[in-house]
Amino acid sequence: MKKKIGFATVMLLVALSILSTRFYEVSLPVWHLLGGGNGPDPATLHLRGEFVESNLGAAQDREGFLTVRMIAQQYVFVPQCIIVPAGVPIRFRITSADAVHMLSFLGTDYGLKAVPGTVTEARFTFSKTGEFKIPCHEFCGAGHYAMRGQLDVVPQDQFSSLRPGERRTCGPG
Amino acid sequence: MGQVNRKAPMRTPVRWLVTLAAMFALLAIPLLRLRGDSSAQQPSEEPPVRIPSNVAWTRETLALVSSGDPFRGLLLARRCNHCHGEEGFSAVPVFPNLAGADRLSFWKQMEDFRSGKRISPVMQVQAAGLSTRDSADLAAYYSMLPTARDPQDSRSFPQTMQDPSLATIAIRLILFGDGQRGIPPCQSCHGPVSYVNGAPLLAIQNESYLQDQLEHFANGYRSNDINVRMRSIARQLTAQEKTAVSEYYGAGLGPGVYSR
Repeated sequence: MKKKIGFATVMLLVALSILSTRFYEVSLPVWHLLGGGNGPDPATLHLRGEFVESNLGAAQDREGFLTVRMIAQQYVFVPQCIIVPAGVPIRFRITSADAVHMLSFLGTDYGLKAVPGTVTEARFTFSKTGEFKIPCHEFCGAGHYAMRGQLDVVPQDQFSSLRPGERRTCGPG
Repeated sequence: MGQVNRKAPMRTPVRWLVTLAAMFALLAIPLLRLRGDSSAQQPSEEPPVRIPSNVAWTRETLALVSSGDPFRGLLLARRCNHCHGEEGFSAVPVFPNLAGADRLSFWKQMEDFRSGKRISPVMQVQAAGLSTRDSADLAAYYSMLPTARDPQDSRSFPQTMQDPSLATIAIRLILFGDGQRGIPPCQSCHGPVSYVNGAPLLAIQNESYLQDQLEHFANGYRSNDINVRMRSIARQLTAQEKTAVSEYYGAGLGPGVYSR
């Protein structure tokens, strides 16, 4: 009996360790579980909540974090170009308005999944400065391959601090 | 008897089960903390909320729009005929053609005219005289109008391309977009490859109307697109690209349901 249980435990550990390397393939149900149906309704993002269009982009929040809010939708990221300082932890809050999208920050190690009905949150620190492309890394429809945003990482002294209520993006508007 | 037999082999697995449960509980702690974090933090001060359009594609809205009555729409359409043509094709290219219009798109524009989210001195007055239900009926009627050419009709569509050399640029943008700048292909939302809710049919649209709308999206005069979708795209287009795409669609060459 002991042998059997030991064998079962070992197999379980092996399975878990394999699954943990394929995290991105099993993470979707986890995000849905965490969202618990309490996330924003993808159809009414523009009407209420934190993802109204006047609240998107980089903002300074009460804890002193720089928070970037973005919407991924078929087939553009909004805002399409975001600007952040280097060497500072940046909080991303991302949701999707339709399908599942994935932001992969090319040239860095970071990626983020945008799931409809769920807010994905992460803290990233960008050490290199420069312009990084953000292609969509999860097939989302016919225009998927042309869906691309941009991340501008500037030195910290070139990023003037945000006034309360100010939302910053690069690019026009 | 039975109880004793059942209990004896259960003991060891129960211990294992408890251990496993404890392991999973330990794993779950960071997940729960993550969840608590995200709900607790709020931005310190929020800018005034800007709402682009009161329309949201909820289940009820979709049901309302798709249940429009085309026969009632036919009667209501008598007041639209003067500008938009009796067959849904206008005689002047600055007015949009309505034949074969996408129902959701048509209905949303009427709602936005009524609520003042889209600015047009003429259409805001017209839309004020219609109810939500009337707009749905009109949308049903216009979506059913045929788009084929009619020799008896005085329509301005299709226009000829002023500069045929722009066709290459237009085809590239309509079929493939520009991935480097993040411009998706027109046909991935406006059809015929795939559609999104509220995207109008472009294949039968007039050149001047399209050009105006692209300009207005780019400079923010028109801002009733949900989640800044068209504004993000139009801002990136150069003047030449806007002209190219509008002229190409205006000449009836764009992919879609239009048949010559």
